[in-house]
Amino acid sequence: MIVPIEHLLVISTILFVLGLACVIVRRSLIMILIGAEIMLNAVGLTLVGAAAFWQRIDAQIMVIFLMAMTSAEVSISLAMVVYLQRRKNSIDVRAFDEMRG
Amino acid sequence: MAVLLTLTLLLPLAGGIINACFGNRLPRPVPVIIACGSVIASFLACLGALPGAGGEGLRVTLFSWMSSGTFQADIGLLFDPLAAIMTLMVTGVASLIHLYAAGYMEEDPDQTRFFALLNLFVFAMLTIVLADNLLLMFLGWEGVGFCSYGLIGFWYRQSENAEAGRKAFIVTRIGDLFFTVGLLWLFKLFGTIGIEAINGRATELDPLTVTLVALLLLGGACGKSAQLPLMTWLPDAMAGPTPVSALIHAATMVTAGVYLLCRMFPLVSLSPLALGAIALIGVLTALYAATCALGQREIKRVLAYSTMSQVGYMFLAVGVGSVSAAMFHLLTHAFFKALLFMAAGCVINLAGHENDIYLMGGMRRRSQTVFWLFLAGLVCLAGAPLTGGFFSKDMILAAAYAKGSPFYLTIYGLGVATAALTSFYSFKLGYLVFAGDYRGEELPHELPGLMTWPLVPLAVLGLFGGLLNLPHLFGGHSWLSAWLVRQGDVLDLPVAVEYRLTGLAIAVFVLGWLLAHLRYYRFKARESGVLSEFLLAGWRFDGLYRRLLIRPFNGFGRFCWQGLEEGLVNGLLDGMAATFVSWGQSLRLLANGRISSYLQGFIWGLLIIVGWFLLRAVA
Amino acid sequence: MTADIGTSLPLLSLLLWLPVAGAGLCFVSYRSAQLARWVALLTALLVLLLSLGCLLCPAGPDGWMLLTDRPWIEAFGIRYSLGMDGISLLLVILTAFLQLVAVLISWDQEKYPALLFGLLLLLEAGIIGVFLALDLVLFYLLWELMLIPTFFLIGIWGYRRRVYAAVKFFLFTLSGSLCMLLAIISLYLVHGEQTGSYTFALEALKQTQLGFGQEMLFYLCFMAAFAVKIPLFPFHSWLPDAHTEAPVAGSIDLAGLLLKTGVYGMIRFAFPLFPRAAEQSLPVLAVLALFGIFYAAWIAYLQTDIKRIVAYSSISHLGFVVLGLVAWGQTAWEGSLLLMVNHGVTTGALFIAIAFIQKRTGTRELPKLGGLWKSQPNLSAFFLLFSLASLGLPGLANFAGEILVLIGTFGSHPLWAVIAVGGVLFSAVYTLRMVQGTIWGPSCEPFDRQDLGRREWLVLIPLAVLVVLLGCYPQPLLDPLQLPVSLLLHSGGLP
Repeated sequence: MIVPIEHLLVISTILFVLGLACVIVRRSLIMILIGAEIMLNAVGLTLVGAAAFWQRIDAQIMVIFLMAMTSAEVSISLAMVVYLQRRKNSIDVRAFDEMRG
Repeated sequence: MAVLLTLTLLLPLAGGIINACFGNRLPRPVPVIIACGSVIASFLACLGALPGAGGEGLRVTLFSWMSSGTFQADIGLLFDPLAAIMTLMVTGVASLIHLYAAGYMEEDPDQTRFFALLNLFVFAMLTIVLADNLLLMFLGWEGVGFCSYGLIGFWYRQSENAEAGRKAFIVTRIGDLFFTVGLLWLFKLFGTIGIEAINGRATELDPLTVTLVALLLLGGACGKSAQLPLMTWLPDAMAGPTPVSALIHAATMVTAGVYLLCRMFPLVSLSPLALGAIALIGVLTALYAATCALGQREIKRVLAYSTMSQVGYMFLAVGVGSVSAAMFHLLTHAFFKALLFMAAGCVINLAGHENDIYLMGGMRRRSQTVFWLFLAGLVCLAGAPLTGGFFSKDMILAAAYAKGSPFYLTIYGLGVATAALTSFYSFKLGYLVFAGDYRGEELPHELPGLMTWPLVPLAVLGLFGGLLNLPHLFGGHSWLSAWLVRQGDVLDLPVAVEYRLTGLAIAVFVLGWLLAHLRYYRFKARESGVLSEFLLAGWRFDGLYRRLLIRPFNGFGRFCWQGLEEGLVNGLLDGMAATFVSWGQSLRLLANGRISSYLQGFIWGLLIIVGWFLLRAVA
Repeated sequence: MTADIGTSLPLLSLLLWLPVAGAGLCFVSYRSAQLARWVALLTALLVLLLSLGCLLCPAGPDGWMLLTDRPWIEAFGIRYSLGMDGISLLLVILTAFLQLVAVLISWDQEKYPALLFGLLLLLEAGIIGVFLALDLVLFYLLWELMLIPTFFLIGIWGYRRRVYAAVKFFLFTLSGSLCMLLAIISLYLVHGEQTGSYTFALEALKQTQLGFGQEMLFYLCFMAAFAVKIPLFPFHSWLPDAHTEAPVAGSIDLAGLLLKTGVYGMIRFAFPLFPRAAEQSLPVLAVLALFGIFYAAWIAYLQTDIKRIVAYSSISHLGFVVLGLVAWGQTAWEGSLLLMVNHGVTTGALFIAIAFIQKRTGTRELPKLGGLWKSQPNLSAFFLLFSLASLGLPGLANFAGEILVLIGTFGSHPLWAVIAVGGVLFSAVYTLRMVQGTIWGPSCEPFDRQDLGRREWLVLIPLAVLVVLLGCYPQPLLDPLQLPVSLLLHSGGLP
């Protein structure tokens, strides 16, 4: 491996935390989705690193699977964002708390 | 014979049931005819069965009421001399009172209810008298209580009347508790509740048990017979129609206690202590009630207190061990007191439904017949020489005197004092009602014939009732004592002593009369003052009981309800429910519908789990 | 256990399933109230006739008149096992009779009539089943089956606070019966481990060897269910609410029948299964029963709602019943069971009379009532008769049971009996207060001056006749009780 696995893990952890912070802190639905994407990519990066480290192909297959799933997810969720925007004229996450107890 | 006896009991029941179920559908005079007819038929049946009562008596078992385990109660009748004489009195007096009531209630729209209850009462009273076991007797005992309740409150539109009925029922039921416990105990001791079996085996008991059982029976008797301390219901019971007062609260039901003690006398007599208590309660009640009678204003309340007082004499008789004296006085009293009450009903009618004796006066001019009838009753009550009341009262006092011990001599003294008071208040009543001029404003009401002539036989019986048990001193043969097989009750005092006692009795009668004559012959203004108010209120026992018993009862009930039930039990439960609800409310806040806070939850959870495993790994 | 006697006609199964079938028909015919009514009436009548027919069956030497026993869920040793002895017989007849009355009394119901009749029949099936079941799982299922129709009866057709009352009732009884379920399963496992045969049959489980602590624990769990149903003080607080808020048919079922299942459970299940624990608990039960007698009477004395007075009086009377059981003797037990039947009839009758009064005056509050005799002499007379029976007037229904309980109790525990005698006075005090405020005194003006109608006569007369008959001649009820009671008393191994 060119880069040590530790560096890779640190990078992906940082990415994951950034994504998580984005999901928790931001109020715009779009930004939350972006945060989720960043977290997914952090996981993907870890998987790629792990595949390189152990010289096994499984993790890379998993990453490809992940990318496909992510694209599907993004398309669906963006469609939902458009729908929600139409319904409440806002994409602020605070407007959608009907599930409150 | 057995059939006649059964009919004696069942005819009034049948009359009562028919009137209760169908009375309202029958044309007007029919219910009255059924009621009077059934009681008179019962009287005739009793007369027919009378020969069977001599000696061993007559026994009839109708059917088995309930039997369970070793317990067995039959509907069985016992017709012995004691029961026979009582049955005869009850049915006889009840027949006359029914006839009187037919006149008295002529215009009442609700008369079928009245006659149904009156017939049921006669049935229940006969059940007491004829029962061969204590449980059946208890059935009658409670039955008369209920009929009395229903009849006292007969005019239910005024709440006071119904209240008086309720008071009578509950106060007598306090006495019934003692009776019940006595019954339970006797069954445990003997394994049977048959009256004869218990009496026959009473000597097997140890003295303490006998005393306690006898005192329990006394408690029951006190309730029914309005003796101290359960006497407060009787004056209020006068709220009922007058025939009811005559039948239930003078002649029959209130003497049921005396009858019970006479019935169980073989048992009761084994305990000198219980006998002493009976005598003491009797004489104290007699004295108490006589003083109260002095202060009363309503004619029926005077008579009510005098009834209480006379029943006290009967208790005294039982207490000094003379069953025949008790029964003798019971009989003469039944005659003259029923007479007095019914005559009082006539007087009230004549005075235009006015009860207050201070607003009467001059009644003699309104009806001579009623005057003479009432007077006949009064002289019996006052104990005028040679009347029935004189002989029976004299026999009781002589029996007390003959006991000899200081305790019984004191009781004798109290009894004589009571006799003086009795004579005084009887003549006071007579003078206030009949002498002088009419002081009220009401116009007289018509007096139906049915309301006077049934009184005549009673007057005769009252005046000449002494013949039933005429003592040897007056040339009699003590027939009643012989019939009851209680020859031991016939006193064998020296002739000089007997003359002295008789002389004293006559002296107190004359003394009371003279005093009443001096004070009331010319009526003065109505008495008022602390003492007469005190006597009017019956020594304020009602207030005392209200303060001592009823208020704490209500207070504790309130505590149970508001404090324990609503406060503690329901409070605890509702509190528990409220706690769960508030927990739920606070948990609601967690689910605020925001993904970001849910995610925060995930992360904290994750961190805790990871931290936990890390710590484990380190340790 | 003896062989199946009732093979020729499966009477017991019919008793259990006929009401279920009737209930199904009622639910199906929800469009036609008329049809549902008649189905319910015919079913109830048929069940009553069947239960009366059971009177003809002779009792075997072990007390059982009829037995049915078939495998049901064999994997768990659960059997479909029903049995009828004298005790069950009386209670089943009482159930069938009161349920018929309940159907008649609900005849005019306009709110979901079909549903009401269906639920009544379902409830009847549950109660009859409880009185017949001899397999613990079957018993438990039927025990819970009683709960659901009652819950809806109170919750749908009740008065103002019906939902509160229904939920309270449900929670109380459910928490009690869940304890019982736990104990049933544990007992099953313990018995299975000991003998290797896993079964829920009552007779088999009686042979289980239990340590004392274990036995006491199971006993308490069973008693939790029964004490709530009876109800014993301090588990009674659901009852006044449920009785008061329930519609009249519900009140009849609650007071007349449901309370009895608790007592029945005690004598059929709790006592025989755990005799040593039962023996230890008797003094506690006695204290609770005695306290309950006075406590409930005292509260009843202060109530202004006449239905609530009767509700509290039920607690007081059931205190007498439990006292009789605790006295542990032939007379006392027969008295208790007799009092249960008598109380069912009198209290049911009282609730009906109160419902009629409410229908005419629109109120149940004592201060607003009074002088009803003036306008409604017949109704008032019935009300008076039932009240007198309830206060224990000799010659009417309740007295016969009460006096036997007292006699039996006095034989073994004089003090308890003497205290209980005081309860008789208390019942007079509160009952007469109720009578006083309702039919005597100055009149209130009923807006419906009509005295009894034809169907009302039809309901009240049999009840009145029964009240008198049971008081004057209770022997036909005592005879069938004698053998089963003595068997239950002596098989338990208690003194």
